[in-house]
Amino acid sequence: MFPTDPKRRIPIAAALAAALLAGCGGRADDRARGGAAADSSVSVTDDAGRTVTLPRPARRIVALVPAATETVIALGAGERLVGRTAYDRGVMVERLPSVGGGLDPSIEKLVSLHPDLVLGWETTGRTELRDRLTALGIPVFSVKLEDTTDVFRSIRSLGRLTGRTDAADSLATAIRGELDAVRASVAASPRPSVFFLVWNDPPMTAGPKTFVSQVIEIAGGRNAFADQAALWPNVSLEEIVRRQPDFVVVPIGEQGTVRLEALKTSVGWRELRALREGRGVSVPSQVVNQPGPHLAEAARAVRDAIHPELRGR
Amino acid sequence: MKPLARLALLAAIAVAALLVAVRLGAVPLSLRQVMDGVRGTADPTTVAIVRRLRLPRAVLAAMVGGSLAASGATFQALLRNPLAEPYILGISGGAAVGAVFAIALGGTLASAGVVGVAALAGAVFAVLLVFRLAAVVGRALDTRILLLAGVVVGAFFNACILLALTFADADAFRSAIFWMMGSFSGATWRGIALLGAAMVPGMTLLLALARPLNLLSVGEETAAYLGTRVERTKLLAYGTASLLTAGAVAVSGVIGFVGLVVPHVVRMLWGPDHRFLIPASVLLGAAFVVLADTLARTAAAPTELPVGVVTAFVGVPFFVWLLRRRAA
Repeated sequence: MFPTDPKRRIPIAAALAAALLAGCGGRADDRARGGAAADSSVSVTDDAGRTVTLPRPARRIVALVPAATETVIALGAGERLVGRTAYDRGVMVERLPSVGGGLDPSIEKLVSLHPDLVLGWETTGRTELRDRLTALGIPVFSVKLEDTTDVFRSIRSLGRLTGRTDAADSLATAIRGELDAVRASVAASPRPSVFFLVWNDPPMTAGPKTFVSQVIEIAGGRNAFADQAALWPNVSLEEIVRRQPDFVVVPIGEQGTVRLEALKTSVGWRELRALREGRGVSVPSQVVNQPGPHLAEAARAVRDAIHPELRGR
Repeated sequence: MKPLARLALLAAIAVAALLVAVRLGAVPLSLRQVMDGVRGTADPTTVAIVRRLRLPRAVLAAMVGGSLAASGATFQALLRNPLAEPYILGISGGAAVGAVFAIALGGTLASAGVVGVAALAGAVFAVLLVFRLAAVVGRALDTRILLLAGVVVGAFFNACILLALTFADADAFRSAIFWMMGSFSGATWRGIALLGAAMVPGMTLLLALARPLNLLSVGEETAAYLGTRVERTKLLAYGTASLLTAGAVAVSGVIGFVGLVVPHVVRMLWGPDHRFLIPASVLLGAAFVVLADTLARTAAAPTELPVGVVTAFVGVPFFVWLLRRRAA
């Protein structure tokens, strides 16, 4: 999962360590900075355009968005998570009670956990869940995580909501640095076209406005379907075959879609030269499908998959 | 047992079902906590769970169950068809088209209220379309033609839904599918008040039509000989039953089998007299749906099953048994 070269991990590891250390003695550095003092109120505009005001930084958080859960943990505020969704994995959250799905959690279960902040999906227009929780006196901060800009904004917002702006800044800086390193490493390489497989039946891929597509570009590839308008467009198998992408990238893991081997022999897909010639590659889905703190790791994983000659650089 | 005593028993069952529904959930509560929650003397979390989440949800489930069962019984009498159910004339298809289009195309405008109104509009449109078709083909309100028109309109609406879903994004797709599976999770006191304003008069009217429905279920000519104003009764009954179904669909999506199964159970236990059948169906339908929703909330907690899944799991075996019994 982690690149083998320890040097590469240092910036993020350092940022995480700093965040975790700060988390242990959080109060002192907050007060020293005078920015978000531990008990002063915070106001942040969420991705639905609403201003969410907390009387003090959140102490009991339920994140309905797995990537937001990861971000809270990366900011060193993992101890403040009091619930998780059925889709959250990881040592930090497995002990927590589940509230069900992220889009349709059990409101009862949520209420009973007494959260002082719920991080929910920004579901365009369908505000039932948000309205219910708000009516029950629980502040809801809606998160939209479509592209990399959204990811960095969410890190900043969550930093403010948890009173950990310093940790958020250093995390964002570390991720940016890592992304730049990946970008620099492929600067001189050719840019192969990449078909990113979100789902195999019906075939679905990542549109140009998604973080996945941007990660592919950073990793030195071209999204074979960069001409699509939809976020996650359904595309016909015929069209994929017609475009003959240089690489087929398949996320594999707990949320994985289809086994690469099965794909190579299945009707239609076997017409892809990339799959026949061993350029069907897998990436860890837990890393690549998560618009959160693992963004740089995702870029590195994709880069290693489509530029194997650069592995470890 | 006298009919009134039976109704009292059914009412007691419905109340017991409501009580069970308020006690059970993702967070289990004792009877004591439920009582304090209703009175508002429990801790704030319990009060919120009881008063603002569970109680409105159980009441809504009861209202929808009662409405569906009453309109199912009415459609079975009017169409003289044991397989008739509230959605038989394409109401569910119409409502689903309204809701799915609102969800898929509405984007930022598709709040729960908008989806409900769109579903209601779709349901009313479906009813009008079916009756219009039947009127064009021949005698208005001819049973066979109505059934055919219902099937045709339903098939057309299904095609529209599939078309809308083809172009919907993943979020909208998921919402639409969930809507079609039916749920009471959107229950609010305001919605209940609105629905009650339509449902209470509707059910009262069906009760008043019990005697003519008795005659109609024997046959239209017989009913006419015995002094029933057949066309007027049919129009009123069709209209009322359709309105009840449309209201139910608008607030909770499509919930199957209640309207089909409950009136049959009542008939088998206590005979086909509509003066008893309709109120008994209302009470039994209410109890059935409340318990089905309780099961839906608790079986896989904290994940909620769609209530339509639970009613179908109970309904399908019953349906098969009913068919076999009729074949024998």
